[in-house]
Amino acid sequence: MNVEQVLFWCAVGLYGVSAFAYVFGFIAEKEKLVGAGLATAVLGFAAHTASIALRWISSAVTPFITTSESLALGTFMAMALYLALQASTRKVRPLGVFVLPVVFVLLGWAGTLRAASGSQLAPALQSGWLWAHIVGASIGFASVMIAAALSGLFLLKENRSGGIYDRLPAPSDLDRLAYRFVAAGFIMYGLMIVTGALWADQAKGSYWNWDPVEVWSLVSWLVYGIYLHLRITMGWRGRRLAWYALAAVVVMIVSYWGIPFSVETFHKGFRVEHQ
Amino acid sequence: MTPPEDAAAVRPRAKAHQNLGRRAFLVISSPRLAIALLITVLACCVVGVTVFTPEPAWRLIFNTIWFNGLLSLLAMSSGLTFFARIWGRKLTIISVGMIVFHVSFMAMLGGVVFNSLLHFKGVLRLTEGESLPNGVPESYDTIEMGRFFDFARLRGETTLLAMHRDYKVDGQDKRAAYEISVGDGAAKATGTIYMTQNLDHRGVRYLVAKEGYSLGIALQDQQGRDLYAAMVPLQSLPRGKDAYLYTTGSSTEPGSFMFPPPPAPTALLLQVGYVPDQKEDRAGQVEFFTWKPDGTGAAAPATGPAASATGPGQHPVTGENRPAASGKVPVGGVFDAGEYKLEAREVRYWVGMTVRRDPGLLVILTSLWAGLAGMTMTFAGRIWQDSKREKRAAGGERKDITSPKGIP
Repeated sequence: MNVEQVLFWCAVGLYGVSAFAYVFGFIAEKEKLVGAGLATAVLGFAAHTASIALRWISSAVTPFITTSESLALGTFMAMALYLALQASTRKVRPLGVFVLPVVFVLLGWAGTLRAASGSQLAPALQSGWLWAHIVGASIGFASVMIAAALSGLFLLKENRSGGIYDRLPAPSDLDRLAYRFVAAGFIMYGLMIVTGALWADQAKGSYWNWDPVEVWSLVSWLVYGIYLHLRITMGWRGRRLAWYALAAVVVMIVSYWGIPFSVETFHKGFRVEHQ
Repeated sequence: MTPPEDAAAVRPRAKAHQNLGRRAFLVISSPRLAIALLITVLACCVVGVTVFTPEPAWRLIFNTIWFNGLLSLLAMSSGLTFFARIWGRKLTIISVGMIVFHVSFMAMLGGVVFNSLLHFKGVLRLTEGESLPNGVPESYDTIEMGRFFDFARLRGETTLLAMHRDYKVDGQDKRAAYEISVGDGAAKATGTIYMTQNLDHRGVRYLVAKEGYSLGIALQDQQGRDLYAAMVPLQSLPRGKDAYLYTTGSSTEPGSFMFPPPPAPTALLLQVGYVPDQKEDRAGQVEFFTWKPDGTGAAAPATGPAASATGPGQHPVTGENRPAASGKVPVGGVFDAGEYKLEAREVRYWVGMTVRRDPGLLVILTSLWAGLAGMTMTFAGRIWQDSKREKRAAGGERKDITSPKGIP
């Protein structure tokens, strides 16, 4: 096992410990345990960052190509956004109770799919659009993941008070913050779809190929479009929208990684064959 | 002039029409209808990619009139819903962003429908040095086009000048590049295309798709005089990881063909395979299998299939898989097939080039960017509006921070 792999599995392990600390800290209302969860998450993020950097340095190919690498990048962005939010306010510290278990499971799954990195990038992937596409996809995922976590906190806070709940922001603030993250995620998703269409047009001459992942990405993007319309046009707020955001993030995870894993698609780890 | 009593009879009917029009407008501009249509389109998409494989999904859903009609109705409904609600409101960064987004969404769907009616996609297969006319359906291996596409739009001819293997651009390996010439007369354009680089000539784009080997085969009499010669394109049949069998036949298995092809009298049934040299491009071994046209009487004793790299197929009529003659010669060599001789004259490449005409493409791609800009404007506007409200609230003038129902 090389250093990069050791760091990767350290990150998985630390995220697992962090998830445990967050969940049990929240259930037992022990703030110190929640604080320990954050500290372990920071350590896990450092190992996660180092493993991606080492893979990038040791390989001739950008490490965001295979399904495993895509999962590692998505979770990396989610953690980066989560920690940035933690640095900006102490009020949403228990957010990790939703974020860390998901990150732990996704990164652990990525670990089971890991393969040696390629020696060269396939010609179809030698495009500047690939960067914008991947950045849009990973930040989009990170945003809606945080939005779902905020919605989860909203549902927990809604009818409870005392102890750890009193230190959470007001439900209306959580609701509004979740909406902002959904809107940001919607834009980044849009960037992913637009640049993906331009990239497909450049490589295959067709901006849209009705590929299962393309269609599912459109579906999940429109699911968030409906969220925004339900809020802005139909006036939905609070509980209903919070449940919607939690369901939407599941659709999103399935469309990103579940569909490429289960059906034959152009996006299966971005392995574009060309004979 | 209309008599007064007739005018009185017409007026209620006109009013009824007005009411009907108003009712239709109210129905089509209802947000519920827009969301119902959106959900229906999403459901069709999900069914299309999960229940069906790509080809039937395209035929049964994505390329049908009813699905395109549904998209058009969605564009109309979402547009009317939005504009009915925003009409007459003050223009702000938020409302302008939303207008840009919704207009671009409608334009994109309109572009998709327009493109699906007028587009063309064909696969043009050419061997190096070969030219084919663009405006003839027979030039293409496969064709997919819109209902109103006219072949007169494809002018001139396309020539494959050369196929370059291991083509590099700025040190990056593009694997294959095609040097092509397209158009007619003075309007001819020449260029090199590879993955991520296509040639656009008068709205028609030429893109790399797939490539393979073609063998130059000459039929000779026993004295070595040429009777017939042709370039024979070979299939690339996958055989394990990164391994291919290059042979005549179908896309799934090796097979023979009449040589020379009709209407010329057939001399023999021929199956050819090619084993490329690992070091030198366009060199290697050529393997021949021949049968008499009627499948009777061996022209020469057959060699064992175990010695063969490609393996003989079957006679198309008799099903006999024991060839009349078989053997291997290097490129440039002559194979003795009994009554005739076969010369493996040269190896060239063939390419399957995708030719596309998408008249709605510019509208679609521009709309995508405009839509993204609209979304960003709206989001930025809302953040700015929220922070203004929060500042006001912090200054003791706190008002209800939730947005009113509808568009603010």
